[in-house]
Amino acid sequence: MSSLSCSMAAWDLSVTVVDLGPDAPPVTLSVTSDLHVGGVILKLVEKTQIKRDWSDHALWWEQKQKWLLRTAWTLEKYEIHADARLLFIPQHKPLRLGLPNGITLRLLASFSSPVFQTVMGICRMLNIRHPEELSLLRPVEEKKKKKDKDSAEEIYDLTEVPLSSASRPCLYNGMPAHFADSPQMEAIYKMLSITQPPPAPEVIAKQYRPASVVDKAHINGRWLDSSRCLMQQGIQENDRVWLRFKYFAFYDIEPKYDVVRLAQLYEQARWAILLEDIDCTEEEMMLFGALQYHISKVSQSEPQLMSTSAAMDDLDSALQSLEVKLEGESSSASEMLENMTAPELNDYLKIFRPKRLTLKGYKQYWFKFQDTSISYFKSKEESIGEPIQQINLKGCEVAPDVNVTASKFLIRLLIPAPEGMNEVYLRCENEQQYAQWMAGCRLASKGKSLADNSFQSEIQSIRSFLAMQKTNAGSHGNAHAADESINTHSLVSPRYHKKYKAKQLTPRILDAYQNVAQLSLTDAVMRFLQIWQALPDFGLSYVVVRFKGSRKDEVLGIAPNRLIRIDLGVGDVVKTWRYNNMKQWNVNWDIRQVAIEFEGNINIAFSCVTADCKIVHEFIGGYIFMSTRSREKSDTLNEELFHKLTGGHEAL
Amino acid sequence: MEVQDLVLEEEEEEEEDSDKEDQDLDKMFGAWLGELDKLTQSLDDGRPEQPPQQKAPLRQETNMANFSYRFSIYNINEALNQGENVDLDALMADLCSIEQELSTINTKPNSSGSMARLGLTDTKVQTCTCLCSMYMDEAARQTSSHSLSSHRRTGSVGTVSEHEVKLLSILRMTECYCFGLLCTISVAIPVYVQEEQAAKLKAENIRVALEKIKEAQVKKLVIRVHLSDESSKTMMVDERQTVRQVLDSLLEKSHCGYSPDWSLVETINELQMERIFEDHENLVENLLNWTRDSQNRLMFTERIEKYALFKNPQNYLLGRKETCEMAERNKEALLEECFGGSSVSVPEMEGVLWLKEDGKKSWKKRYFLLRASGIYYVPKGKAKASRDLVCFLQLDHVNVYHGQDYKSKYKAPTDYCMVLKHPQIQKKSQYIKYLCCDDVRTLQQWINSIRIAKYGKQLYINFQEAMRRTEAAYDWSSLSSSSIKSGSSSSSLPESQSNHSSQSDSGVSEMTSSGHTRSQSVVSSIFSDAWRRGTQGEV
Repeated sequence: MSSLSCSMAAWDLSVTVVDLGPDAPPVTLSVTSDLHVGGVILKLVEKTQIKRDWSDHALWWEQKQKWLLRTAWTLEKYEIHADARLLFIPQHKPLRLGLPNGITLRLLASFSSPVFQTVMGICRMLNIRHPEELSLLRPVEEKKKKKDKDSAEEIYDLTEVPLSSASRPCLYNGMPAHFADSPQMEAIYKMLSITQPPPAPEVIAKQYRPASVVDKAHINGRWLDSSRCLMQQGIQENDRVWLRFKYFAFYDIEPKYDVVRLAQLYEQARWAILLEDIDCTEEEMMLFGALQYHISKVSQSEPQLMSTSAAMDDLDSALQSLEVKLEGESSSASEMLENMTAPELNDYLKIFRPKRLTLKGYKQYWFKFQDTSISYFKSKEESIGEPIQQINLKGCEVAPDVNVTASKFLIRLLIPAPEGMNEVYLRCENEQQYAQWMAGCRLASKGKSLADNSFQSEIQSIRSFLAMQKTNAGSHGNAHAADESINTHSLVSPRYHKKYKAKQLTPRILDAYQNVAQLSLTDAVMRFLQIWQALPDFGLSYVVVRFKGSRKDEVLGIAPNRLIRIDLGVGDVVKTWRYNNMKQWNVNWDIRQVAIEFEGNINIAFSCVTADCKIVHEFIGGYIFMSTRSREKSDTLNEELFHKLTGGHEAL
Repeated sequence: MEVQDLVLEEEEEEEEDSDKEDQDLDKMFGAWLGELDKLTQSLDDGRPEQPPQQKAPLRQETNMANFSYRFSIYNINEALNQGENVDLDALMADLCSIEQELSTINTKPNSSGSMARLGLTDTKVQTCTCLCSMYMDEAARQTSSHSLSSHRRTGSVGTVSEHEVKLLSILRMTECYCFGLLCTISVAIPVYVQEEQAAKLKAENIRVALEKIKEAQVKKLVIRVHLSDESSKTMMVDERQTVRQVLDSLLEKSHCGYSPDWSLVETINELQMERIFEDHENLVENLLNWTRDSQNRLMFTERIEKYALFKNPQNYLLGRKETCEMAERNKEALLEECFGGSSVSVPEMEGVLWLKEDGKKSWKKRYFLLRASGIYYVPKGKAKASRDLVCFLQLDHVNVYHGQDYKSKYKAPTDYCMVLKHPQIQKKSQYIKYLCCDDVRTLQQWINSIRIAKYGKQLYINFQEAMRRTEAAYDWSSLSSSSIKSGSSSSSLPESQSNHSSQSDSGVSEMTSSGHTRSQSVVSSIFSDAWRRGTQGEV
């Protein structure tokens, strides 16, 4: 024993304690090699003579870029000698976190745990379920044109939030308890859970837009490594990183619990479309525009949608089921009574049938709405007799043709008949008349009568859209007076800013808006996400790679269920491989090459150009991990499995 | 009613002359139509303060009651004209169940006098009106069909008259009941409301309510279903029934062996196209799109293409050009992947198709792409970038049909054609879009992909449901393979959907005495044999 202690000669270890101030010299400790890390920390704290909570502090070995987190390990085991420069610093440090909705938070994040766990902690704080789908991204450098604007950016501070390790935050009023502390915190939570108003067109135009697949591929080189910590990846205190959904396999979305998750997912999808990160057709763009308009409008009028409390939820569902009951049972007494007071709609309108080969223009008749049909008579006086014609609108297509400034209020009807479709135009005199008849036509096309309780809200939504057109046409783009008004250029990608004027765009979006105007906020957000997910290019993350034996760069697209190989010259998908057929994949870390074997003796190998092969490895392993989730229905995240699938040799 | 009896007698005398018979039938229907008109009129007369504009408008597009009436007549009429057997017993069973319903309603005490109970009264009026009009329909049909059977089925005159009597009495009963109720209401109003003005208003409200009721009534249609062996079957469907439910009751009645491939196929002869109805669709809604003089047919037949998509998903979902085999577990995984998630991704379908130009006989090649939002094509001189695509059509309002023999009809490049049109369009129109594929495989891939884009997860649910039925039937038939009489055992089927199917079964069960064999072809041939025998025996 004595010989052992003799060999363990004491030597000096210097440790910089950041909390002593930037100019303070390193603290020197006399240690032996068999001293464990915990002992070093104890000595250090004693020597600083500062009484405070040191529990979050740990030793960081600067040369080796390594935390000394195993307190039971000896200095010898860590191979630390006198020349080691150690820092005694907190493990949690403030980080500026850019969210998908464009808001920046300042919060405490773990700089010592693998990024996977850091993200888990952040998501726990923000009340986002399924943190495995998100990760951190180094931001795209902004062009340093407007420095003043950058500094003026508002940052919402969350650094006061205590760190907790509970897997599920306890909820208070539907939000994590730490958000219920003060009105300021509550406001921040609202910011997280409510979708942002449409951005100004200039803001969209200013943002970085990937112009090609290669541009898109470059973004994926910025993902942080999930198996290493922030410190190891050169992220400093107060640095900016982006929190984004990385794996496009959204598991078990439940609007009731996923308020923040849904809002952020929607924002990421919205920006992906506005910045043409994902391609879509013009029709789809108009529908996305209409949904954005609707979502922003509804979230202004009913901001209480973020589920408040269990009691409210119950009440909501009770009311909803009551509504369903009333709708379902046509024989119920109350509906009978309601039907008796069904609103009536009769007026003079002008009708025109474009398909008939006549030169006659619009003719005026007395029109009457009955259930899902409109009848017309020569005059009001003759409306007691038989109508000239009765047109059933059930199943017909209704399209607006409106120009407020030119006072053109046209309802275009396309009515199916055995012989084909009959086109009928109805011309209204004014906005008021138009809104009512349009609402009636739209309900009738769905088989609903004017007695339906959505009639009034339908009228309202048509009116507000007309108002929008008015402001757009009236003042050139700078009308922000009425809160109802939205520049339609805010709803579509810059390509369409050039293609259409705002007032040309309005009727097109209005057209698409018809089909979504009745959706609730949650349903509208879900619809937006659904259409986004149904786009052919959805979920593809690109990386430029060089296939083994090939002499040119190609693009590898990584999707939730498959890999695709894209020829850069033509832009076509050359080959698709599905994970279902994958037998194994390996990474040769020495030559940085990924090799994959598929069923049927198909072997591919490639090196990565625009991203580290660890990123590709993590994407593939990550998607395999995501697909295992559905089978085990447990709430706890199988972290070990994730690291096994994504870690590579470094995780070991 | 006297007219009917007269006709009956006439018929019995002239058994042989089928032309004459048809005329008589026409006459009879005419008479019944008249009867019905009279009844409606008298009903109208019975109404208090009937406003004059309540007469039906010239174009009765909304009058559903009339619609279903003429529709049913059409079907029967066709059946009679073609001189084939009508499943009278099945119909009779349906009727009996209605009669039961009616009698239970009749025993309920009348509520009157209080406006507070108006809701209740209305409910009853609804049932009553509904039953009434339906009943008149039924009665008309029943009497006519029975008069037919009276000379077809030898020696059944006694039964017929019995039915006649029953029918007529029920009809009268219904009639009276309706009058009774209307009177109750007209009495009730003065009691409750003091001012005349208010009374008028209420009366008007009641009129509106009655109209609603008329619309809300449950339609029942008698439809004729054609089988692949040229025979046909008549059955009654409820407007609420889905295609799956109708298929189930057809399968139950015909004992042709369960298989998910059994389909109801709509054929539009005039346009030479057909479509397999999806299981979740509402049958009556679809049939109401047919015109009065329609030559359309509803076929009950086995179609492997109905669910081929789910049996070999690898040939449809992977966008491959060649057919291939796949292990069962991989198929399941593939289906789960495509249909199990929160959103269904549409298979990547794209390629050159022939498009028939509007109003012309020529077909032009275009590069088409399918997306969830519709069918697009690449405009001339452009690359196939999403933003440049031109929307060909959106799928919300159209169905996809299979065009038949278009090579000769429309000079199509091949016979592998699909048609996209609004279900209500029944005649040639510029709104019908014709597309032609190079081979049958491409055609099937397109049709199925469009179905996925249109119906999404519902298709998969339909398939799973159909498979469940098949499995259930398999278990059941292996248990009861010894039982010969199927009429009794069919009622023990756990998933018997329609309440009247087990009763109406008896008509067929006598003929199908051979029990069920699992092999499809054997069963169906036995079935068709039996059908033929049954028909021959009667003529």
